[in-house]
Amino acid sequence: MAKIDEVKAKVEAGKTKLVPGLVQEALDEGSAAEDILQAMVEGMGVVGEKFSTGEIFVPEMLIAAKAMAKGVDVLKPHMASDGATSLGTCIIGTVEGDLHDIGKNLVAMMVESAGFKMIDLGVDVTATKFVEAARENDNVKIVACSGLLTTTMPALKETVKQVKDSGLNVKVLVGGAPVTPEYAEQIGADGYAPDAGSAAVKAKELARG
Amino acid sequence: MIIIGEKINGSIPSVAKAIAERDAEFIKNLARIQSDAKANYIDVCASVDDDIELETMKWLIDQVQEVTDTPIAVDSPNAKICAEAINFCNKPGLVNSVSLEGSKIDDVFTVIADTKWECTALLCDDCGIHPTAEARLNVFEKIMARAKEYGIDPSRLHIDPLVEMVCASEEGIKMLVEVISEIKRRYSNIHITGAVSNVSFNLPIRRVVNQAFTVLAMNAGMDSAILDPTNKDLMGMIYATDGLLGNDEYFIEYIGAFREGIFGNKK
Repeated sequence: MAKIDEVKAKVEAGKTKLVPGLVQEALDEGSAAEDILQAMVEGMGVVGEKFSTGEIFVPEMLIAAKAMAKGVDVLKPHMASDGATSLGTCIIGTVEGDLHDIGKNLVAMMVESAGFKMIDLGVDVTATKFVEAARENDNVKIVACSGLLTTTMPALKETVKQVKDSGLNVKVLVGGAPVTPEYAEQIGADGYAPDAGSAAVKAKELARG
Repeated sequence: MIIIGEKINGSIPSVAKAIAERDAEFIKNLARIQSDAKANYIDVCASVDDDIELETMKWLIDQVQEVTDTPIAVDSPNAKICAEAINFCNKPGLVNSVSLEGSKIDDVFTVIADTKWECTALLCDDCGIHPTAEARLNVFEKIMARAKEYGIDPSRLHIDPLVEMVCASEEGIKMLVEVISEIKRRYSNIHITGAVSNVSFNLPIRRVVNQAFTVLAMNAGMDSAILDPTNKDLMGMIYATDGLLGNDEYFIEYIGAFREGIFGNKK
């Protein structure tokens, strides 16, 4: 197996200790940093898919992302620039009045693993803050907002509305336990994802849009 | 959690029969299923007459080593037999056990001092099993003094505070918990072990009591146990408890054991 394929396989398996060494070996073999990164992104794609289908559990997704992050650390000095291979910036946060962050963090991790630069605004984020962040950061392609309570669904609606009204050329991705694809469409969101793996796929799709 | 698989023991009638008939396949199968169930050691106890104990131990150990690399726990009430049986093993394992009784410590520590062998030490002495935490801790300190003399690091010792039937106790396992916690406080890298199933003796539905005990003892600091690793309910409880206690980051061991069918329904 070529080193670069091994990198992909070990990211999928969440081998945090092995990945950095293998990335270095792949570089030594002459593989381009960008190609190695792409291999890891593909590995995480498989992980996200397996998570979506219920084949693997949250911890397995977590350690896979951790393994990739360790590999990226090794790659960084070899990358032409931060932006060269990035799919763009994604602003993420949980909407105003809502303090849930576990699911949002998983989504952030998977979207980042797909190749986005993440700006995590945290929890209880007002619609205004989402818009400001989308305006102030470079190359923002996606605003991802999560709402985990039926009572904060109106805040989700308000966030989508303000981002859309801002006139910025960004796509809005929504999710959270009570959110349905129908509701997402109804409030004018560009996309909906039921879980972290799907969110990464959807974000890519919207960014290419 | 360090699991010492208890199934190869001549005091179990089916095993005694296999030993008497030299039924190698029966013994090999017990070794195989315990190794597959992720036992860290496979206990081998002959429970036969003194004059044939050593040869029986050799035969048993040979059978086990033919099917698995899992280290052996050489188990005999006679420490001299344990010390001899070490020679039959391909790799360092566990001596089960010594105590402050007679010359047991010297018999074994002399042999294992400069090796990687680990050793179980029971907190009893020539007076038997002491009823209070203070007295058992006193035995413990004496054992530690001997270990130090022989240069045996605490990390190589599995202290068995002696699990007794709980149904005759007026205060459950409080004393045992006190002993376990205090030992762990004094020596953080020492292992605490125990024969889990003793606790439920003479109670109905023993497995429930065994499981509850295991959780509580692990919470106090027990990190090793002699039990049946093919008992899926108990193994699941152990993996879950290690996860909940923060001994298993992200529950990865738990998930891995589930996938290997150590507990739950194998897919």
